[in-house]
Amino acid sequence: MNPAATPLDASRTPSSPLPWSRVRFTLIASIVLGALLSLPMETATYIVVIRAVVVGLAAMLVFSAIERWPRRDPRWIPRWVLQLIGIVVVVPLAALVAYWMTTGGHPNFQEEEKRVVGYMMLTFMGVFFGPWIALGALLRQREAFARTQALAFDLERSELERKAVDARLRLLQAQVAPHFLFNTLANVQALVDAGSPQASDVLKSLIAYLRAAVPRLNEPATTLGQELELVRAYLEVMRMRMPDRLTYALQIDPAARHVECPPMTLLTLVENAVRHGIDPGEEGGHIDVEVSLQSGRCHVRVVDTGVGLQATGSGLGTGLSTLRERLALAFRGDAHLRLTEREPHGVVAELDFPAREAVP
Amino acid sequence: MSALEPTALIADDEPLLRESLERMLEVAWPGLRIVARARNGREAVEQFEQRRPDVCFLDVHMPGLSGVEAASRIGRRAHLVFVTAYDQYAVQAFAQGVLDYLVKPVEPARLADTVARLQERLRAAEPASNTEALLRELAAQLKPGVARQAPLRWIRASVGTSVRLIAVDDVDFLKSEDKYTVVAWRDETGQPREAVIRTTLKELAPQLDPNQFAQVHRSYVVNLRAIAQVTRNLNETADIRLKARAEVLPVSRTYLHVFRQM
Repeated sequence: MNPAATPLDASRTPSSPLPWSRVRFTLIASIVLGALLSLPMETATYIVVIRAVVVGLAAMLVFSAIERWPRRDPRWIPRWVLQLIGIVVVVPLAALVAYWMTTGGHPNFQEEEKRVVGYMMLTFMGVFFGPWIALGALLRQREAFARTQALAFDLERSELERKAVDARLRLLQAQVAPHFLFNTLANVQALVDAGSPQASDVLKSLIAYLRAAVPRLNEPATTLGQELELVRAYLEVMRMRMPDRLTYALQIDPAARHVECPPMTLLTLVENAVRHGIDPGEEGGHIDVEVSLQSGRCHVRVVDTGVGLQATGSGLGTGLSTLRERLALAFRGDAHLRLTEREPHGVVAELDFPAREAVP
Repeated sequence: MSALEPTALIADDEPLLRESLERMLEVAWPGLRIVARARNGREAVEQFEQRRPDVCFLDVHMPGLSGVEAASRIGRRAHLVFVTAYDQYAVQAFAQGVLDYLVKPVEPARLADTVARLQERLRAAEPASNTEALLRELAAQLKPGVARQAPLRWIRASVGTSVRLIAVDDVDFLKSEDKYTVVAWRDETGQPREAVIRTTLKELAPQLDPNQFAQVHRSYVVNLRAIAQVTRNLNETADIRLKARAEVLPVSRTYLHVFRQM
């Protein structure tokens, strides 16, 4: 189990109903108080200590019982108050039981006046110290709970930071796939060898794509206009490579050109459409890219008529998942990416995010 | 196979590369007649059956049927040469095996070597090498998603009238219902939604990232990041409360170890 991914057990109930540490503490406190109590008394010290231990354990049992029951926090009174009341109520009863036990079942309170005084003192001590000790325990629990929670928050934060780094790394790796580069260069070479005048145009597109793709890695944001040039260059290269299988159209609201946009956002969507929609199909397909502004938000639609999503789509996804993570980080959850299947086949990828003008 | 006038097939989904290889072969092997050209694996096999060329140049990456798949259908009936752009996995696999391959962009010197080897084999009337097992292995390796068993990232599910891809990060939990699985997820606005998919939980669970999803009950798999708190009950079970949902999920005794002392 990966602890970072697991929320800490936030319930404040200890895992065991009676933790040994609690029993130990109760025993020590009762023995010490019992010994103190026995000083002014005639009764043997060990008898008094036994009585104090019985009272102490009873108080602890009540404290622990109310901690777990009722299971839901009562609405009319805080649980800790109930616990304290429980202690105050149980101490006199427990003291009675303690005397009954240590006198062989005959406390004879009517005849032994000193015993009554002793009982009163024991009860008083229990009622006086019990709640304080209980309060101390409650306070410690609360602190421990706060610590676990702080730890959980820390974990969550470091998880987020780690994600940001991961997303960047994956972006770096995914950049300009060598397969794409060498295949495209093979095409350019073919054109050059054939003395085709098209060669120069294709090289221009490839250069535009590379120039746009390479230095972007370090920029936190670019404009949609720049993104679109990148997408256009990429699509132009791909159309040259598969002229019988790919057509495309871009429809851009000119006002959106200056909107800020994390690098490679649009390109990831379009690359995904080519890689998982157009390329795997013998027939290829058409890609539509639409960008519009609407009430302060930027809407992007990338529609392809390719083969569509295959089953649970295991191949698909790394690029899009990375994009999702990056968008979540860049827009603090205010960007929405939605993928839908298109009839009869193909995929619609829709993205909307707050339109922020880039500072020139 | 006639050694006098050898014939060849070229299969590549990119027309420019098809033509380029054809032109380079004209120079490197003037006696070779290109009798068939194919745009994908399916066409390659069809053309092969019609024309029975001596040599097949097959692009590895083609839509539909891949070059490797087409090769295993052609089998030993022709000498095979694979063509691939930079592709670590493929090149490694080819280099290990006895398969002939060319890397794009094709270099004339490299092509000349390949041509010399092919000419030698044709002259000696050597049968094409038996590569059946190797090809099957390669085809399996190159199939997307099979070789690299990455955890599932998107679940394809019907929501209303459309089919959506739900990111597994947005899934709160999965609940088994007979032959179906209920996907409890949150949409773009954070609203809790539910979708039903045909895959059983049993089939789905192993595909999920074990660091993110845990089975907590025979019929429940939960996204650990969606959990708000886990409350242990006295009878060795527990209840899971979620951050964004009202449902309380049960943790059965068998799966309680998932949340034991972290």
